[in-house]
Amino acid sequence: MIVNSILLIALLCVALWAVMTRSLLRSAIALAIVSAVLTMLMFRLHSPLAAVFELSVCAGLIPVVFVSAITLTQPLSTKEVLQHMRERLTRFWYLPFIIVSSGIIFTFIHLSSKMPLPGAEVDKDVRILLWNIRPLDLIGQILILLIGAFGILIIFKEKKENE
Amino acid sequence: MLLSLLILIPLFSVLVLNLPPLLRRAKVSFYCALCFTLAQIALVFFCVFNPQSIVVNPFGSLLELDLSADSISFVVLLSIGITGFITLLVAKYFICEQQNEHNFVSVLFLALAGLNGIVLTSDIFTLYVFLEIAAAASFVLIVINRKKNALEAAFKYIVLSILATTMMLSSIALFLFIAGNTHFASIRAAFNYSSHDFLLILASGLFICGAFIKAGVVPFHGWLPEAYSESPAPVTVFLAGIVTKTLGIYTLIRIVNSVFGFLPAINNLLLFAGAVTITLGALGALAQNDFKRILAYSSISQIGYIVLALGSGTALGLSAALFHFFNHSIFKALLFVNSAATEAQTKTRNVEAMGGLQAKMPATAFTSVIASLSAAGVPPLAGFWSKLMIVIALVASGHPLYALVAVLASVLTLAYLLSLQRRVFFGTLNADCAQVVEARAGLVFAAVLLALITVGAGVFFPFVLNTFILPIEKIFAG
Amino acid sequence: MNIMLFLPIIVPFVSGGVVLLVPNRLPVLQKAITIVATALNLALAIFLFKQNVSCSLPWIGFGIDFALRVYHFSAFIILACSCFGFLIAIYSSFFIQKNFRANQFFSYFLITIAFTNGAVLADNLLLMFFFWEGLLLVLFGMIALGRPGAFKTAMKAFIIVAITDLCMMIGIAIVSRLSGTFIISKINLPPSAAGSVAFVLLAIGAISKAGSMPFHSWIPDAALDAPLLFVAFVPAALEKLLGIYFLARISLDMFQLSAHSFLNTSLMVIGSVTILLAVMMALIQKNYKKLLAYHAVSQVGYMILGIGTAVPAGIIGGLFHMVNNAIYKSGLFLTAGSVERQTGTTDLEELGGLGRKMPITFICFLIAAASISGVPPFNGFFSKELVYEGALKRGFLFYAIAATGSFFTAASFLKLGHAAFLGKVPPKYEHTKEAPLAMLIPMAIIAFFCVFFGLCNSFALQKLIQPVLHQANFHAAEFEGFKVNAKLTAVTLIILFAALANHFFGFRMRGKAIAAADHIHHAPVLSFFYAKAQEKWFDPYDIGLRIVNMAAGFAFRVDRAIDWLYEILIVKVTGFFSGTMKRLHTGNYGTYLFWSLIGLAFVIIFLSRSL
Repeated sequence: MIVNSILLIALLCVALWAVMTRSLLRSAIALAIVSAVLTMLMFRLHSPLAAVFELSVCAGLIPVVFVSAITLTQPLSTKEVLQHMRERLTRFWYLPFIIVSSGIIFTFIHLSSKMPLPGAEVDKDVRILLWNIRPLDLIGQILILLIGAFGILIIFKEKKENE
Repeated sequence: MLLSLLILIPLFSVLVLNLPPLLRRAKVSFYCALCFTLAQIALVFFCVFNPQSIVVNPFGSLLELDLSADSISFVVLLSIGITGFITLLVAKYFICEQQNEHNFVSVLFLALAGLNGIVLTSDIFTLYVFLEIAAAASFVLIVINRKKNALEAAFKYIVLSILATTMMLSSIALFLFIAGNTHFASIRAAFNYSSHDFLLILASGLFICGAFIKAGVVPFHGWLPEAYSESPAPVTVFLAGIVTKTLGIYTLIRIVNSVFGFLPAINNLLLFAGAVTITLGALGALAQNDFKRILAYSSISQIGYIVLALGSGTALGLSAALFHFFNHSIFKALLFVNSAATEAQTKTRNVEAMGGLQAKMPATAFTSVIASLSAAGVPPLAGFWSKLMIVIALVASGHPLYALVAVLASVLTLAYLLSLQRRVFFGTLNADCAQVVEARAGLVFAAVLLALITVGAGVFFPFVLNTFILPIEKIFAG
Repeated sequence: MNIMLFLPIIVPFVSGGVVLLVPNRLPVLQKAITIVATALNLALAIFLFKQNVSCSLPWIGFGIDFALRVYHFSAFIILACSCFGFLIAIYSSFFIQKNFRANQFFSYFLITIAFTNGAVLADNLLLMFFFWEGLLLVLFGMIALGRPGAFKTAMKAFIIVAITDLCMMIGIAIVSRLSGTFIISKINLPPSAAGSVAFVLLAIGAISKAGSMPFHSWIPDAALDAPLLFVAFVPAALEKLLGIYFLARISLDMFQLSAHSFLNTSLMVIGSVTILLAVMMALIQKNYKKLLAYHAVSQVGYMILGIGTAVPAGIIGGLFHMVNNAIYKSGLFLTAGSVERQTGTTDLEELGGLGRKMPITFICFLIAAASISGVPPFNGFFSKELVYEGALKRGFLFYAIAATGSFFTAASFLKLGHAAFLGKVPPKYEHTKEAPLAMLIPMAIIAFFCVFFGLCNSFALQKLIQPVLHQANFHAAEFEGFKVNAKLTAVTLIILFAALANHFFGFRMRGKAIAAADHIHHAPVLSFFYAKAQEKWFDPYDIGLRIVNMAAGFAFRVDRAIDWLYEILIVKVTGFFSGTMKRLHTGNYGTYLFWSLIGLAFVIIFLSRSL
């Protein structure tokens, strides 16, 4: 229980850092760390399947996409960096408050369920499991990936040519 | 089932159209998409008249998708088909380069797949996945021309959309926790047997708020005016015509009807939100000077009508909501096509800089008057019938005050739409517009087509009523 | 077969739409389309005659179907309408002048035919009302096409007819409530309080369509302002047929009225008052068309009186008079049209001696005038005699009024004929020629029918009127030939001679044909009423306008006060709110996020309160 709490707090801190940091690259790295911590939490909460997905997709694939997209952008000038650093604290002052207050609210909700959740059948092959039970979601994932590809194609490709 | 084609064909088409031999052939992909939208309309009509054919699975045992379709889905699928078709017609003139046109069609295909998936699924998590697909596709569509304002608008849309996503996901998590499953039917059962009253309410509230953000219900509407007015013309038609409506309103209708049931508390919430949205949307429209922004606020106001109709909690209210859904997607698409036409010809969206265009662009002016009258609920246009149904449903369910709001707000609707018409199309010809000519043939064709649908659905209302609207009452889950 | 029933509505309507698209540069094409369409319509009417079919298509739902039914009566009315339509179409091929929005006129003309056919064929009250209201719109359009001031008259006609149509709508609502159906052929209501109200409301609609008093006042105005063809076709023929047809339907089929009921008596009172007052107004007119227009009103009185008597002779007389009146009245208007086309005026002060210049027009006029005055053996004589006989059975007073009306009719036509066609030719009309052939043919055909229906009245009664009354168990055959009441005939003849004597008396006294009725005009008491009537004191529309004006004056003051309130309340408040809305939308997404979260909190709190 204590370990879980520590992990949760760490998760929040890293997430805050992701938002507050001045460099996009650091944000991306922070997001990857968030995913990694989340993966640990999921393992501890006995959902290995979700944990594996989180680790592979959110901590692995997405940061790669982010980092590759960030390399296409122009770095900020020193003056802008200073400006940004000044602003970020004032801009996001309410974020910690929101996090703390929502934490307090959630302690009042007793999520004590007697009903056991349908545990994932870990023993079976994941691919077959997905294909048989949730083919639609799989198709949805393909669609999302395609959209992401087109989005990057549209937004960034031309910019690079302009440079 | 047969309708799974509506998801798989777009996916397949995008893959094939991006294979090397067809790559960069914008014309090919454009006509493919045009054919697909027409095929979707045809398929919907086929399924409406041959209900037994819906269950046919074209893939046999190879791929069995858990899809379902009922009368609500048909109305929405039909709207998707029509709006998609019109969007493509308009897109021809507004997407700058050929390569971009190809990308546009691809993303539009993906968006259509997402929308169709939303309509056809009966699992709340799958619903969420497809919501994200459609939303992500529309972000990309908004920035397709890489204008700075569009990027900013898309960013606001993304931020609020993420908030909606968060709410929906938390809600789905709670539902999964309570019901042990994400299928509509299981969650519905949980509403009857579960002891987690507060959690259920919390989950419903979160989900409804998520849908409200997607639909642009006041006060969740902040992103909408900007996204509508800054996106390229065809994307506006698509967004206003169908995307926000399917993402927000259809989801809301589906969830309330199939999952929550019409609980009194939810009904009251919907009624209140609807009335506020109608009024504030209309007031917002009155103060604007930008053609597309006026229409965007008008969209908010009209969405309020749909929410209000749903809130009456009766079978008639449900069918009225769906009918207004259809009507609104037609006449709002028509108005946005008109705004696209005037913008293309006068190079401005400021209505003060227009005036007297009726002499120069008669077809645009005429169709826009039809759309405005339909929006304001003037008989015998289609909008009149849906508003009439809404008012009757409200009165019949014992909410005469809300009915009064609906009627009074339709006066406001008439006020801002007529003042829009007067400032753009009538009055004295603005000197800057002396050289203006009628819009391109494709735009005029799109506008006339939509105007015909509006008039036709009004004049042949009995047919529409019997074929599409009345069957909805049967699936009402009071 | 059933589809044939739709054609009389579709064919003229579609061709009306087509004509509207033909530019005015191609008058020949417009006229050709109109003539072909009316000819087709006539052929259809002949085909449908003697058929008894009905058909029904689903329409609005809720028991309101697109139900049409043709049987003796409706087939007969349709036949009559299409005959007139065809004749007027031929006539119009020469009459329409230049600089006239002819495409609109012909289009309205054809649509009028379509709607009339629809209203007659409809077997559903709402469907009938739909067409009936459609006629109102076309009526408005046709009057407004006339000379520059016609718009005001069109407005007047529109308001009067719209008010009566409103009555009719309420009547239809009551009838459908009482009988539980909209199907006309299934409605058969016993007399009751609500039923009587419904009957009165429906009858108001019917008689105002026919142009009876007190709903007549637009007709004389329209006679001067509206296109002449419109007057010759719509108020003179079509609306009489339609109005009386509907009156007959409601009093014979839809309601079970007993002969001596209050309702029938009031119909008779309306009829006789209309006869007398309208004809007295006609007598003093000094304009060809306006004089005819007042007669168009007056003659309706005979029909309403006849139907109101509820005795066989009266009803048959009323219906027969309906046909006859349509024939000779449109004939008379057509002669007015020829005179107007050849001389450029219809003012009787200026006309004179046209009989020698336009002999055929004169002959046609003579025949039609003799018919309307009830001179034997023309058709008007027989129908009037039947009405007299019916009226006499119900009360001597009604008969006396009807006979007096006859006296004035004859007197006014003597004056009209004398002033226009006899006497000296004014110098400026020295070179007037006869009207073109295409205008003469319709007049001649109409004149022929005046004679034919008179001499062979048994044909008309047996073939046309008797089948109509089949279900009412009346036998028209009893009234054919010269078997009419000999005493009444004698009285009629005496009246006619009296009118002749009166005319010569007046002519001697004043020395001018046009002034031949002035001794009545200037008679001690009458002159006062005439003067007031000329000032439109008795025109219900103008009375209404005066009341409205007074009320408006009062309302204006109240309005100022309310207006001030609105300026503050509505405009400022709306402006304030919409301005606030605009200011609130700063474009900052943080604000929008904040709103959404507040909204979420509200929703959750709201929903959890319901626990």
